[in-house]
Amino acid sequence: MFNQIKDLAGGEIYLITSLLMFMVFFLIVGIYLLKLNKKHIEFMRELPIQENKIEEHEED
Amino acid sequence: MQLEKFTYDNKIVRNFGIATIVWGIIGMTVGLLAAMQLFKPAMNLGNQYTTFGRIRPLHTNAVVFAFVGNAIFMGVYYSLQRLLKARMFSDALSKIHFWGWQLIILSAVITLPLGYTTSHEYAELEWPIDIAITIIWVVFGVNMFGTIFKRRERHLYVAIWFYIATFVTIAVLHIVNSFELPISFMKSYYVYAGVQDALVQWWYGHNAVAFFLTTPYLGMMYYFLPKMANRPVYSYKLSILHFWSLIFIYIWAGPHHLLYTSLPGWAQSLGVAFSIMLIAPSWGGMINGLLTLRGAWDKVREDVTLKFMVVALTAYGMATFEGPLLSLKQINGVAHFTDWIVAHVHVGALGWNGFLTFGIMYWLIPRIYKTELYSEKLAGFHFWIGTLGILFYAVPMYWAGFTQGLMWKEFTPEGLLKYPNFLATTLQIIPMHILRSIGGALYLTGVIVMAYNLSKTMLSAKLVANEPAEAMPLTKIIVDSAPGDKAWHRVLERKPIKFMVFSLIIILIGGMVEMMPTFTIQSNVPTIASVKPYSALELQGRDLYIREGCVNCHTQTVRPFRSETERYGEYSKAGEFVYDHPFLWGSKRTGPDLHRIGGKYGDTWHFNHLVDPTSMSPGSIMPPYPWLIEQKLDIATTASKIRAMQTLGVPYPEGYDKIANDDLKIQAEGIALDLKQNNIKVKSDREIVAIIAYLQRLGTDIKANKEPIPSNQ
Repeated sequence: MFNQIKDLAGGEIYLITSLLMFMVFFLIVGIYLLKLNKKHIEFMRELPIQENKIEEHEED
Repeated sequence: MQLEKFTYDNKIVRNFGIATIVWGIIGMTVGLLAAMQLFKPAMNLGNQYTTFGRIRPLHTNAVVFAFVGNAIFMGVYYSLQRLLKARMFSDALSKIHFWGWQLIILSAVITLPLGYTTSHEYAELEWPIDIAITIIWVVFGVNMFGTIFKRRERHLYVAIWFYIATFVTIAVLHIVNSFELPISFMKSYYVYAGVQDALVQWWYGHNAVAFFLTTPYLGMMYYFLPKMANRPVYSYKLSILHFWSLIFIYIWAGPHHLLYTSLPGWAQSLGVAFSIMLIAPSWGGMINGLLTLRGAWDKVREDVTLKFMVVALTAYGMATFEGPLLSLKQINGVAHFTDWIVAHVHVGALGWNGFLTFGIMYWLIPRIYKTELYSEKLAGFHFWIGTLGILFYAVPMYWAGFTQGLMWKEFTPEGLLKYPNFLATTLQIIPMHILRSIGGALYLTGVIVMAYNLSKTMLSAKLVANEPAEAMPLTKIIVDSAPGDKAWHRVLERKPIKFMVFSLIIILIGGMVEMMPTFTIQSNVPTIASVKPYSALELQGRDLYIREGCVNCHTQTVRPFRSETERYGEYSKAGEFVYDHPFLWGSKRTGPDLHRIGGKYGDTWHFNHLVDPTSMSPGSIMPPYPWLIEQKLDIATTASKIRAMQTLGVPYPEGYDKIANDDLKIQAEGIALDLKQNNIKVKSDREIVAIIAYLQRLGTDIKANKEPIPSNQ
């Protein structure tokens, strides 16, 4: 089933580099997500439904 | 700090809403007409402006850019103002954006039936309109970023990231896929040729689906769904993950539209690999949407807007599951060029885009009029007839696709094609096409009922054109973040320009990795010495082929399957297309492939077939083209066309532009003489002669080739 991806007759370099690029990118986003502040996430989630609330802004 | 009072501009939202309904009805009606033409050729209405080849691009442009386009702007203008707690940056820019966009659509409605087309799918509009699109898109961008800059909410909610990614990517796609060399007011040639042109076009085509039909709609889903259900999005973390993965991966997947063609093999494999990966971020969005409704399913039973949203998300999930499956080569080999693909895109278009638009409109219009919806019952009727419409559309088209795809490949025990006559496979699926048009008619009926319902709603109350709101202004932050603050996304959420540049880099990576080697490394497009430029008459004939939109039904790329080489002849090689500005490979075989049509039949056959297709192929659903005999070929353009081709690197001898028409006349007279010997009297200066010359040339150069052709697979 994976022959079309394995058997590339010289084109592997493009595929492998591309997949590596994505893996690195995905890992960076993943690490960032793990480090995210929970309070900030809650604040962001509520934005559309709290739009009529007149409050001070979230402090950074 | 002083509370600031301001107003939201609801008038622009309402105007885009009305435009969405009007163009939706027009675009879908044209689609219904095109669908009926496929089982009743009389529906081509007997004139050159309404044949399938010209009407089909009108349908796609109208539903994609007019219906969906206006719906995007409606949703963006409503949600952006509220998420940023600010009125749109400039009322004047909003108006220019609105009227400019409508004028562009109007110009498409006029020029496409007239035959002015570049032939690139979903990018058919000619160069002056391309420039207008660029200007209006920039107006939209300035208006959006202007609003972002004067916002009263520091952080950009996920919906706005999707809007920013949409803006920047569509700009890049449109510009790169519009590199055309104008030769007259409404005619141009793409600077790319053959394989490279195909790669650029499907990089564009696929990502038009991604960044026009998907990302802005995901943004709207992230805003309107929580509003409708009155609960926050299920997982904000998932929305971040799926946003970045989606925009990174989508851009690579274009080559899956070109599997088994002469595109370099590694590019095809890249397209396949990234298409399979795409399932994850796509489903991330769908799951996030559906789980937002957890604990609120009782509301779905009662609230028609939520019903539309649930079907929309389900259709999105189905289409994005099917897409990666279709890019597996084994499945693609059967599905590509058949109605299966038509079914696939319509599950996305009717289900995801259509239903999400309807859901939003039923929610939004009563709100900006501060009233109730005129009739919940009619909205419920719309929901059910629309859902039935989608089923009646999709199921027969899947059936037709499987049937025809398998028939093309079927051999007898003796090893011969079971259906050597292509037409037999077309006639087999006519009943499915009739059913499909019933599905389309049901869906359209729903939209008309919605138009009535919403008009009544709007007439029953007065628009709150300027809706009052208040919010605290933003204070300036002197130091952006504390030292050691690793939350770069929080910084990005506050810095729209950085966010845009970062998104731009992410979407450029995929395109560059695929395009740069294809453009620069010679072995990717091995040349064939015997392939020569088209003669002047053939070049003119090719432009008529483009004008008539033949590419909408006929492909010009034979895939390396025995079922295709038996039926059509040798499979297509990259080097055969090096002078094809633009490429004309097509994406759908309503009729047979034409790449090896040259020399297969005599001139007389082509003449009779073009004037009355049923005379040569009884039962054919191709429309007749009698005007090709009546209309004189415009040879005043020959010189400028030859010069344009020379500029693009086609090796016509120097000064050939001045004598090209002499050659053209000699070749035309030869064809007219040949026809005369077969008792067909036609003047040599007619359009039909040029188009016959082109068809007879197609795919013949390779026959003179004696050298081995290196593979790029």
